[in-house]
Amino acid sequence: MKLLVLYLLLLKASLTSFSGLGSLPMVRNDFVVERHLLTDHQLNMAVVAGRTGPGPYGLYLVCVAYLAAGVPGAFMGFLALITPAFLVIPLMRWIGARADIPRVQGAIRGLLLASVGLLVSSSLPLTLDAYTGVLSALLIVASFALLTFTRIDSAWLILGAAGAGLAASFLR
Amino acid sequence: MTPQSPTPPSVKKLTEIFFRIGNTTFGGGYVIIGMLGRELVDARRWISAEKFDLAFALARVTPGTNLIAFCAAVGALICGIAGAIAAVVALTLPSSVLAVLIMKGFESWQGNRIAMAAIGGTVAAVAGMMWATIWVILRPHVGGVTWNGMKRNLQVVLIAGGAFVASWIFDFTPLPIILVGTLAGFLWKDEGRL
Repeated sequence: MKLLVLYLLLLKASLTSFSGLGSLPMVRNDFVVERHLLTDHQLNMAVVAGRTGPGPYGLYLVCVAYLAAGVPGAFMGFLALITPAFLVIPLMRWIGARADIPRVQGAIRGLLLASVGLLVSSSLPLTLDAYTGVLSALLIVASFALLTFTRIDSAWLILGAAGAGLAASFLR
Repeated sequence: MTPQSPTPPSVKKLTEIFFRIGNTTFGGGYVIIGMLGRELVDARRWISAEKFDLAFALARVTPGTNLIAFCAAVGALICGIAGAIAAVVALTLPSSVLAVLIMKGFESWQGNRIAMAAIGGTVAAVAGMMWATIWVILRPHVGGVTWNGMKRNLQVVLIAGGAFVASWIFDFTPLPIILVGTLAGFLWKDEGRL
């Protein structure tokens, strides 16, 4: 895959999202559904790798780019990840003066809600891929509940889930 | 108003702070932003609380990963464009390398039954985390049982539900769905605040 195309695909995904995992629907559509560069399982792995270490959750884009085109691809993924961030500098001048306009607030709200619908649509197949039996179902529900209703650090969830997976493999 | 140090730090000093906090803090954007606030606003007073809040609000409406946009905004407010670039690179480059190394580890452990059992557990946990992320984004937009609250809930159902149906059932690509959702929000008459 051409590196410029890879950069532009990831930049498109990044530019049309407003959170770390918000780009997931676009990435899944371009890399899994349209171009068959990745499987759902690989995309899941990329998301896990991005969330296992420190730093922002959007790092999974670098892993996706690495899977698509190796180390040079990962560099393109890194560039696509950070490029939109610099839009905040002109935004500080432009939106700063218009943030209270109801229509602007409404447009942002509409964009966020559409992103939620898309995120549900792309999370469903990834969740089905992650589901392998009773233990995985318990881990999915437990990690959702713990992250939603407690202030636990997600690193502990990752470690705990890895430990549960290991314990289950020894018990089999 | 929170006092701010009259002399800005050097770009090197700023880089050190973003490097240390960004690459040793687990838990994603909100946790890292909290740590940066403690260091930059409370401890070092390189930026006022008001400017820090402005950066946080604008990062939420900047495309891409909020945390990275937040770093660019805070870096720019403290040290100008050089500060923005330094803050973003210091926070994301080392953790990107680490994420790729973890990814490579996953690939090379594919044949190892024990490693795959551990990875299987983490994949399930991350699936749960994705749903928690969806709830975190959706929660501020869900209204109560008042008339205005019900109108807001209807908007959630129509736009978020419509986006889901358009993608899941009718296979629309994300870009037109996002554009229609943005337009619907723009045209929707809502007395409530964002």
